Amino acid sequence: MTHEPTDPAGDARASVVIVDDHGIFRSGLRATLGATIDVLGEASTVEEAESVIRATGPDVVLLDVHLPGGRGGGGAEVILRCVAFGARSRFLALSVSDAAEDVVAVIRAGARGYVTKTISGPDITAAVHRVASGDAVFSPRLAGFVLDAFGTAAVAVDDELDRLSARELEVMRLIARGYTYRETAKELFISIKTVETHVSAVLRKLQLSSRHELTRWASERRLL
Amino acid sequence: MRPPLVRGRDGMIAGVCAGLAVHLGIGAGWIRLGMILLTLASGAGVVLYGWLWIFVPTTADRADLDRRSGPASFMRDAGTAAVAPPPGRQAAGRDTGATATAPGRDTGTAATAPATAPGRDTGATAPGPPAPGPPPSGEPESWGERARRAGRREVLFGAGLLIMAAVLLAQVLGVQVDWAFLVPVSVVVTGAALAWSQLDDARRARLVSQARAGRPGWGVRLAAGIVLVVAGVLVALSSSTSLSLTMTTLIAVVAVLAGVGLVLAPWGLKFWRDLETERASRVREAERAEIAAHLHDSVLQTLALIQNRADSETDVLRLARAQERELRRWLFADPSRDPGSLSERLRATAGEIEDLYGHPISVVAVGDAALGPAEDALSQAAREAVLNAAKHADVAVSVYLEAGPDSIDVFVRDRGRGFDPDQVPADRAGIRESIHSRMLRYGGSSELRTGPGGTEVHLRLPRTGAGQSGASRSAGSGKDAG
Repeated sequence: MTHEPTDPAGDARASVVIVDDHGIFRSGLRATLGATIDVLGEASTVEEAESVIRATGPDVVLLDVHLPGGRGGGGAEVILRCVAFGARSRFLALSVSDAAEDVVAVIRAGARGYVTKTISGPDITAAVHRVASGDAVFSPRLAGFVLDAFGTAAVAVDDELDRLSARELEVMRLIARGYTYRETAKELFISIKTVETHVSAVLRKLQLSSRHELTRWASERRLL
Repeated sequence: MRPPLVRGRDGMIAGVCAGLAVHLGIGAGWIRLGMILLTLASGAGVVLYGWLWIFVPTTADRADLDRRSGPASFMRDAGTAAVAPPPGRQAAGRDTGATATAPGRDTGTAATAPATAPGRDTGATAPGPPAPGPPPSGEPESWGERARRAGRREVLFGAGLLIMAAVLLAQVLGVQVDWAFLVPVSVVVTGAALAWSQLDDARRARLVSQARAGRPGWGVRLAAGIVLVVAGVLVALSSSTSLSLTMTTLIAVVAVLAGVGLVLAPWGLKFWRDLETERASRVREAERAEIAAHLHDSVLQTLALIQNRADSETDVLRLARAQERELRRWLFADPSRDPGSLSERLRATAGEIEDLYGHPISVVAVGDAALGPAEDALSQAAREAVLNAAKHADVAVSVYLEAGPDSIDVFVRDRGRGFDPDQVPADRAGIRESIHSRMLRYGGSSELRTGPGGTEVHLRLPRTGAGQSGASRSAGSGKDAG
């Protein structure tokens, strides 16, 4: 994936906190993040993450899905704790796991996106800026999951939470096919901003929907 | 080689005689006759029978033992199998110890068959539904088995009636019969038999499934056996002494038993807990050993290879990707996923090509389809497309599968430099033959879009009515192998 920043925000800066229990990965990630990103701190457990985020208040938290500590809730628990004390930080989930349940747990807790740990330096930098500006970051895999959970035929009337609109379906399909936001916009003859709006809408649906597939699927895995 | 001494499940009472018969190679009928003769010698037969009942393992026990003792037991099994009757006969056997049981069953059945006929006659004097099945031993029973068991019960019941009749006849003929002694003793024997048979069943049930060992029916029957024994002893005692003395004794005995129980209970509990802990730790140990073995065979070997090839970036990348894929499959493999489905086929193909060219190939699947001839052709065409992308574009490739109700779509996309389809030499059959014609043959279509931003191949296969049954499974298959 190559998610370019929304507008050529070359001089926009974003501050991050890296939360991951592997020291090697943290230092590797710190090295690959672009010059426009300031790393304010690192944490390796749920408790550490909460206190570091509380102390530094970063724009974006790069959050591993699996974390030791807390009540065993991993990344999702960090988000819930930070929401509880009113942090304004946004969360971007990072994972090596290809198990959709891990990803959906953090997304439903409130993460603004999800990327794999094999992501390249420029891509993660772009994703951080995107999340910092309030947009959602969808990997092809997450888009694939959304299509699977919401169905590829269902089309929403109005603002239904349980279905995707025709446009949202198209956007999700293109992202699942490996298109960037820019390529998606070009393909559909819409602006990138519109693509971002659609993706954010889908993210909201993913977080709020009580669609029975999602609910059943999540409760089967004891996520609810 | 003599077959091992085990108790089959098809004996008259506990399978002791049938087991002995197999072990010694003598007819079960003779063994039984010998037991009865021994019993007449002031009950020696009963004692011997009880002793063997306790100490000779059942076939199920035996099978469990063998399973634990590793590969060597395989040879032993092979040895017993040689004695086993032809397979047709064996097919009837269904418990764990099928090989060992089969001979026992044969003799057992042969011996029971003649006895069953009169048994049915006596059964007629005491009609009614076949004896309520034996305590469910945790395994489903075949009908034949059940009928045979029921027959055995009737035989036992009939034998009891016959003995009673004989005793009554003897009394009529003037022989002195001590009822006050006979009745309690028979009650005690019945109770003990009931309790012991539960011991057997409980053990067997535990072998089959640990959870089922605590079934209530088991406890009830055991309690009934104990009550019978206690009542029998009491009656036997009270017949010789006064009632009040019996009651006093009873209270004293109960008090002593309660005291001893109180002292021993914590010990018993501790023993039980230790046993459980040990069993659990053994299970954990086995799991750990399996994980260690797997990591050693895969990850450690790959890491060693990576150290050797540290100077070749492509090799390292390829090794890392391949190992990652393998580990993922091992860790997150979803047994509900059908290995014969289209998405799994695409994932396997992607992995294979990834190994070949070293470019990451990610597969995203939405819905899934069973592999028919058309789906097979689709996967072949997709394979060709991925291969082309990996070969010529020299970058990462994305594969997207969407199996909807009307059609199956596969997109293969790369971000290479693109190419001009008209300039592909005519002798290169790749796109035209392997992809386009293949799709056309199954009523599908293919579309190629290429440009400076990369190339995308779109394969489309319309779904016919027949192929829709297993179509588009929803949630759960959206996992990605990439």
